Amino acid sequence: MSIKVDDKIGTVRRAIPVRDARALFLRFMPGIVLVVLVLAVALANPLFLRPNSLLTAADSAAPLLVLAAGAMLVILCGSIDLSVAALASMCSVFVALWVPALGGWAVLAAVLVGATAGLIQGAVHVVAQIPSFIVTLGGLAVWSGIGLVASSAATVGVEGDSLEWAFTRIGDARIPSAALIAAGVAVLIAAVFWFTPVRRWFEAVGSAEPAAVLAGVPAAQIKLAAFTVSGACAGLAGGLLVARTYSGAPGLADSLLLPVVAAIVVGGTAITGGYGGIGRTVIGVLIITVLRVGLSVAGVDPSIEQIIYGVLVIGAVSLTIDRSKFQVMK
Amino acid sequence: MSVPVLNVVDLKKRYAETTALGGVTFEVRPHEVVGLIGENGAGKSTLLKSLVGLVQPDSGRIELRGNAVKLRSVAHAGSAGIGMVFQEQSLIPNVTVAENILLGAEGGAVRGGIYRWRELARRAQVQLDKIGCLVDPMAITDTLSFAQRQLVEIAKVLAIEERTHAEPVVLLDEPTSVLDSDEIEILFAQIERLRTHASVVFVSHRLDEVMKVADRVYVLRNGQTVGEFVPGQTDEAELQRMMIGRDAQGSHYHEDAQVDVSAKPVRLRVSGVSLKGVCDAVSFDVRRGEVVGLAGVQGSGREELSRALFGAETLSSGHISIEGEVKRFRSPRAAIAAGFGFVPAERRREGMVATMTIAENVTLPHITTVCNGPFLDRPRERRIVNDWVQKLRVKAPSIAASIATLSGGNQQKAVLARWMVSGDLRVLILDHPTRGLDVGAKSEVYKLIRTLSATDVAIVLLADSLEETIAMSHRVIVMKDGKVSAEIPAPVSSKPSPLEILERMI
Amino acid sequence: MLGTYGPPAALLALCTAFSIASPQFRTWTNLRNVLDSASVLAVITVGLTFVLLLGAIDLSIEGVMAASGLSVALLLANNRNDVDLGFVAIIAAVALGACFGLANGLLSTRLRIPSFMTTLGVSAIGIGVATVLFGGIQPTISSPAVAEWANGQVLGLTRLTFVAAFVVVVGVLIQRYTRIGRYARVIGGAEDLAALSGVRVARYKTLAFTLAGALYGLGGVMVTIQLGSGIVAAGAGQNFTAITAAVVGGTLLSGGRGGVIQSVVGVLIVTVLANGLVLIGVSPYVQKAVQGIIVVAAVAITTWPLRERMRVVK
Repeated sequence: MSIKVDDKIGTVRRAIPVRDARALFLRFMPGIVLVVLVLAVALANPLFLRPNSLLTAADSAAPLLVLAAGAMLVILCGSIDLSVAALASMCSVFVALWVPALGGWAVLAAVLVGATAGLIQGAVHVVAQIPSFIVTLGGLAVWSGIGLVASSAATVGVEGDSLEWAFTRIGDARIPSAALIAAGVAVLIAAVFWFTPVRRWFEAVGSAEPAAVLAGVPAAQIKLAAFTVSGACAGLAGGLLVARTYSGAPGLADSLLLPVVAAIVVGGTAITGGYGGIGRTVIGVLIITVLRVGLSVAGVDPSIEQIIYGVLVIGAVSLTIDRSKFQVMK
Repeated sequence: MSVPVLNVVDLKKRYAETTALGGVTFEVRPHEVVGLIGENGAGKSTLLKSLVGLVQPDSGRIELRGNAVKLRSVAHAGSAGIGMVFQEQSLIPNVTVAENILLGAEGGAVRGGIYRWRELARRAQVQLDKIGCLVDPMAITDTLSFAQRQLVEIAKVLAIEERTHAEPVVLLDEPTSVLDSDEIEILFAQIERLRTHASVVFVSHRLDEVMKVADRVYVLRNGQTVGEFVPGQTDEAELQRMMIGRDAQGSHYHEDAQVDVSAKPVRLRVSGVSLKGVCDAVSFDVRRGEVVGLAGVQGSGREELSRALFGAETLSSGHISIEGEVKRFRSPRAAIAAGFGFVPAERRREGMVATMTIAENVTLPHITTVCNGPFLDRPRERRIVNDWVQKLRVKAPSIAASIATLSGGNQQKAVLARWMVSGDLRVLILDHPTRGLDVGAKSEVYKLIRTLSATDVAIVLLADSLEETIAMSHRVIVMKDGKVSAEIPAPVSSKPSPLEILERMI
Repeated sequence: MLGTYGPPAALLALCTAFSIASPQFRTWTNLRNVLDSASVLAVITVGLTFVLLLGAIDLSIEGVMAASGLSVALLLANNRNDVDLGFVAIIAAVALGACFGLANGLLSTRLRIPSFMTTLGVSAIGIGVATVLFGGIQPTISSPAVAEWANGQVLGLTRLTFVAAFVVVVGVLIQRYTRIGRYARVIGGAEDLAALSGVRVARYKTLAFTLAGALYGLGGVMVTIQLGSGIVAAGAGQNFTAITAAVVGGTLLSGGRGGVIQSVVGVLIVTVLANGLVLIGVSPYVQKAVQGIIVVAAVAITTWPLRERMRVVK
C-alpha cells in the first residue's frame, strides 16, 4: 500500500474544502457585500468615491474598529463580551477627568484601566466558570455605574489640545490619525496572528475547547488574554471618542454595543467561536460604516439604523452560527 | 404459542465506517422477560435506540403485535406501545413525580391548558400502584433516591398502557448499573410484578443478572444476535464464550511484535490514586515499553483514572511518579510538558480540532518544536509534519487539508502523530484508540502501538474489547468498583483467557 | 435551605438595617413609596421569570417597553394626533409587546440562535421602532383620567400598584396551573428530556417568550402613564434591574428553578436596597454597579460547586 503525500499547496494554511458551500459563503460573502454596498452608495452619490469622503468614512469607523477588534478576540475563543461599549464609556469619563493632570497620557491610563477591567471579567469567567455573557452583562452594569459615579452623571468637557493627536489629519493626503491608530491595532493583531501560534490557540479553544485543553493549549490564559485585550481596546476607543467630542460622558459609547456585535458577525466571525479573524472584522466594520453613509445618502431616517442593526445581528448570527455545538439552544 | 408482542427481524444500521447492527432478530412474547446480553460495543444501545425511535434502522422490520411499525421518536414509540427505562434516567428533576409520569400525555388531567392537579396525582398514583411504589406523586423528583427514581421511570413507561389500551413492552437499559445489591434485589422483585402488566426486555452486560431474571436470553455480538438460550438449561461458561467470541487472530494484533519488558525499569508509577466518588487507592506500575491494559465494566472508574493520569481530573489523594520523580499535574498542559500523551475516546469532540488542518492539529500540543522563539517556522512545520504523515502512512491529499476530511483511521493516526513530533514521548494513555475504526485501520493502530512499545514508551491502554485488551497488553489490570481487583500477566506465550478477566470485572 | 429562605431573610435583614440607619425609612409613607416604585419592575420581572425558567434569557425588555410605551402614548388622547382609543390603546400596546415576545421566541427556536443574541437584536428593533414613533416631538398624554391611574390613591397606593399586584397573582396562577407555566419549568429542567417525552419544546418556549413580551408591553404602558408622555428611554436600565431582581430572589439563570414568588421577593429586595441607599445618602449611581456585582456573585455562589477541571463554559 503506497501513500501519496502531495505537498504542492505549499504553505500550511486553512484549506476550505471546496464542497463545503457554507464555508465558501462565509469566506467570500462579507467582501462581496461590502463591494456591492460601496457601488450602490457610489451610484446614488458619486461624490462618495472622492478621497475626502472616503477618509471621513474611515475616520468615523475608527472607534468602532478598535472596539470590534478586541471584542472579536473574545468571540473567536467562543465567549462574548457585552461590556465593551459600557467600558468605553467609563474610560471616556476617566480620560476626560485625567487630561488636566496627565495630558495625552490619560489615554494610556484609560487603556490600562480598560485592560484591568477586562482581566477582572476574564478571571471571574474562567475561575468561577460563569458563562461570559452573564459576567460581562454584570460588568456592563458595574462599569456604567462607575462611570456615572465618577462623572456625577454629567458630561465632562476637555479643554486644550493634548488629545489633538487622536483626532487630526496627517500629511498632504490628510489621513485621519484615528483611522491610523485603529489600523495599527488591526495590523498588530494580524501580525501576532500570523507570526505566532496564538491564532491557532484561539481557534482551538473556540472551536473545540475540550480537545484544545487535552492538547495542552493554555485555554484559561487564552481567554484571560482575550478579555484583557478587549478591555484595553475599549479603553483606547474611549480615548478616541473623547478626542473627537472634546468630552467624556457616562453613556458616550453605550449605543456602540450593537454596531460592534453587528460588525463582527456581519464580517463572518461565528458567534460560536473558532471561526473568524481580524480581516473579517475590518470588513464587517467597513460594511457597517458604508451602510450608515448609504442610509444618510438615501435620506433614510437615522432612527431606523437601530432596527437595521437588530436585523443584521440576528440575520448574520443565524448564517454564521455553528449549531452542532449545542445540544439544546438556550 | 401466542403471537409475539414485539418481533424484530434482521435489523441493520450502519454508520459512516462501522456497522452498529448487522442483523438483529429476536422476539418478545406476552408477559415474558427477555434478556439481551452482550459486551460493550456489541450493539445493545443502537438496538434499543432503534426500538424507541431515536435511531432509524437502515433495513429490517420492527413488528408490534403483528403490525410493522416505523418509529419516529420516543413519544411515537410510546404511543405505539414501547417504552424505555433509560440508563441515565430521563426524568425532569425539578418538577413533580406525577408530571413526569404523565409528561406529554396528560390527557384529561390537563384541560384547555389548565392543570387539574388532583386528577394528575390520581392518574400517576394508578401507575405507581401497578408496581407497588410508595413514592408520593406530588414529591419533587430530585428529592428521591436513584432507586426510587428508577421505579418512577418504570411507572412512567407503564402509563403507556392507558394510552394504547394494550400492555406495553418495557425496555430496561442496564438498570442495575448504579444500584447497590439490596436495590438490585428490590428491582428484580419489581420486574416480577412488572411482567403482570407488560412484556419486558432486560438489557445488561452482567450475565449473572440476566440469568436470574430472564425467561429467555439473546446474545448479541458485533451487532448480531448470535444465540438464544433458556437460563438454567445452558452452561454459563458457554454463554460467556458466545458473548466474547473467538475470532481472535494473533496476526491482527501483531502479537509476534510484543517485546519483552521484564528487565526494563519502571517508568510510570501510580501510587494510591483516589478520585472523589470514582476510584479508591489505585496503584500500579508501567515499565518502559510496557503496554498495560486497564479492564473494567462501565462505572469501574478506569476512564476517569486514565484521564486523571493525564491531569484532566483532580486527584483527591495519591500521586504518580515518572522515572521516580513525583508529579502533580494541575492540567493536561503540565502532563504534556512531562512527556505524556493522551488519545481520548471521543475523537471528534476531544481528540482533534475539526476545523483546523492536519498540520495544525499535529503540531498543536508541541508547538514549540516548530517555533523559533515566539514565531512559527512554517517551513519547518511542513517538513516535520510531512515526515510523520509519511511514517504513519496517513492518507491525505495534503497536510494543509482540514483534518475533518480524513477517514476515521487516518484521523486517529494524525492524532497519534501529534504525540510523536516532540521526540520525547514517555507515557502514552490510549482511551479506546480503535473505537469506530474499520478492521484495516485497527490493525494499523495496533502496529503503531507495538512500534511505540519497542521504543520504550510506557503505554496505558483502555481497549474496546477484552480480546483487544488481552492481545495488546503485557499485563492487564482489572478494575471493579473503583478498585484494582486483579493484576494478570499477559505474555505472548501464555495469554490469559477472557473468562479469567471477566470473572474479576463483575 | 439557602435557596428557599435566603432571599426573604435578606429582605428582612435589609429592612431592619435601613430602619435602624434611617428614621425616614421606617415611615408608612416610605413603605408606600417602595411599593409604588416596585410596581413596574414587578410586572416586567414576572414576565422575565417565565423566560428564565426556560433557561433562556431576555435582553429585549428595554426595546419592548420603549415601543409599547410610545405606541400607547400615541394611541391615547395626546398632543400629537387626534387618536383616543382609551382602554383599547392599552390592549394594543400590550399586544405589540406580545408580538415582540413572539418574535423573540420564533427567532430563537426556529433559527436556533441563543436567546441572548436574538433578544439583543429584537431590543434594538424595539428601540428603533420607538425612535421612529417618537419622531422628534415627545407625545404627551392629555387625558386626566389616565393620569389618575398613576397619581390617584386607593388605600394610600396608586392604582398601578394594584395592577402590579394583580399581575403577580395572575403570574403565580399561570405558573402553577397552566401548561405554559409548567412546561416552562419542565423545559428549563431538562429540555432534551422534555423533547424525548414528546413535549413540543419550540411551541412552549415561544409561548413563554410571548407572555413575557406582553408583560414588558404592560410595563411600558405603566411607565408611560407614570411619566405622562412617551419616551424612548421608558425602559432604560430596567432590563438589568429585572435580571438582578429575579436572580437575587432565587430564579436561576440556568433555568427550571425559582418562580414568580421568588422573583417578586427579589424585586422587593432590589427596590428596598435602592430606596434605603438613597435615604442613607449613597449616590443612586452606585446602585447600578452594585446590581452588576450582585448578579455575578449570585450566579457564582449557586454554580460554584459545579466547577470542574475540564468543564466547558462559554
